[in-house]
Amino acid sequence: MNDIAAFKPSAVAPRFGASVVRILRGSLVMATPVLSILALWYAAIAVSGLPEFVIPRPTQVLAALVEDRVFIATHLLETLKSAGLGFLLANAIGIGLAMLFVAAPPFQRIVMPAAITLRNIPYVALASVLVLAFGDGLPSKILIVALAGFFPVLVNTHRGLLAVDPIIIDRMRILDARPWDVFLKVRLPFSLPYILAAQEIVGSGSIIVSIAAEWLTSTQGLGYVINRAMSQYRGDQVYAVALLAALLSFAVYSLIQVLGARLDWSARRPAGAGSNAK
Amino acid sequence: MRHDGLANSESAPGPRAAADVAGAGRGSASISIKGVGCRFGSTHALDIVDLDIEAGSFVALVGPSGCGKTTLLRIVADLVSPTMGAVHIGDAPAAAARRERRLGLVSQRPAVLPWKRAIEDVLFTQRVTGRSTLPAQRMLRDFGLAGHEGKMPHQLSGGMLQRVNFASAIAHDPDVLLMDEPFSALDEMTREDLGIWLGETLAQRPKTVLFVTHHIDEAVLLADRVIVMSPAPGRVLADIAIPAVRPRHRDFRSDPLFVAVTARIRELLFDRPRAASGEGNTGSRGEDAAKYGMGAA
Repeated sequence: MNDIAAFKPSAVAPRFGASVVRILRGSLVMATPVLSILALWYAAIAVSGLPEFVIPRPTQVLAALVEDRVFIATHLLETLKSAGLGFLLANAIGIGLAMLFVAAPPFQRIVMPAAITLRNIPYVALASVLVLAFGDGLPSKILIVALAGFFPVLVNTHRGLLAVDPIIIDRMRILDARPWDVFLKVRLPFSLPYILAAQEIVGSGSIIVSIAAEWLTSTQGLGYVINRAMSQYRGDQVYAVALLAALLSFAVYSLIQVLGARLDWSARRPAGAGSNAK
Repeated sequence: MRHDGLANSESAPGPRAAADVAGAGRGSASISIKGVGCRFGSTHALDIVDLDIEAGSFVALVGPSGCGKTTLLRIVADLVSPTMGAVHIGDAPAAAARRERRLGLVSQRPAVLPWKRAIEDVLFTQRVTGRSTLPAQRMLRDFGLAGHEGKMPHQLSGGMLQRVNFASAIAHDPDVLLMDEPFSALDEMTREDLGIWLGETLAQRPKTVLFVTHHIDEAVLLADRVIVMSPAPGRVLADIAIPAVRPRHRDFRSDPLFVAVTARIRELLFDRPRAASGEGNTGSRGEDAAKYGMGAA
């Protein structure tokens, strides 16, 4: 009894102290990049001597973000729509083609050159043609995002589907498993880490491509806002959109990472299991 | 006990159905390999092999690496098509036996799915094949894995993982078990433990076993017959019966029969020219490949 009473504070207190230190250290780690970016920003204004519409002060950018929130939010929604739908289409095309390649390898030789060509055509040219064909609305933007994003999904998924341990394919063959079972229960789970790796690229990339497409052609979305702001010498608005887009991309990336960690069997190994200690 | 007469009965291939009944318990079938040869392009992997394996017996294939023993096993498994010849399981061609899910394969590395728990992996075999008469939970318990059923592959030791692999390989209750160096990735102690364990497990669940290994001791400890293969292109160099009751225990290693047979196999593998002229030693049936092939045909 006496022992426990004496033991308790000495056991808990250091752990409590350690957690405070950890939180402090954590917030310092978070604050450092923000502070250093702000310092560089102000230094750039002071040193370059550029006018305010080229480098506005951070406070002006925040003010623009607050003042024009309704206007920006409307266009943000538009960008999210084309980025989100384009992202889904990119995955449908990429994963679909990868499945086709595995099921019927000859298709790889037919489709892959076209896919690589499509990948290497400048998106600006592609966008121009798509706008001529579909107008400057949502469908063209979705297509541009999808065309920019399907290739990493296709290549990664294909590699993942073929990455199955041949010993497990032997097992499925000796059990005379149905092809669909082999695909759904073996190949697809095996390729999941590869597919997730592609999402990290394509997810945040979709937002950037979507904004670029809007900048080129559209009258809606964050890209359009940048275009309009530039013509009005509203540097603060351009920066506000840039900040928003960066945050958005970061959020999408983090979301995919979190979801990926839950889905990815290969990440579920006890690598970082030791969460207590000092 | 039932394996004692094996050496004598083998020379008369006889009616297979009778051998099926007499030779083994439920759930095993004979294997007949007739004139099987295999080439991969310019590589001559396997010369002509003739082999009859009685239902319920345990036959080990030993030979130098690259001699085609794994190829032969894969042909029996219908994973590789022979360039010539045919394999029958019972009365059915190997392909039909595979489609009927009568074959089980134990690979060198565990073929478990890395995202499935031990019990899920065993059930996976049953779900895929639609054959779920064996109680998965009890199998794992019988295999010394009680308390580990819920573990992921990376949480299990090599020996445990290979036992899960074995459970998954036989969960659909196949007649024939094909094992391709199943213990070679394990350390010496685990390997011997698992060898003894395999012998005991097979005594409870008799299967016809074709077992590829490069461990002579392991082959002699476990098998009713050891087939010694020549370097590539592989053919049967000798077919050696080991007339001792299965399952055998560690002390069988000091048995004069064990010593004589392992010495004989070593002689065949490492000292071939002399061995070829000195046929007819203890334990050997004294049949070289050509004679054996003619005799069976």
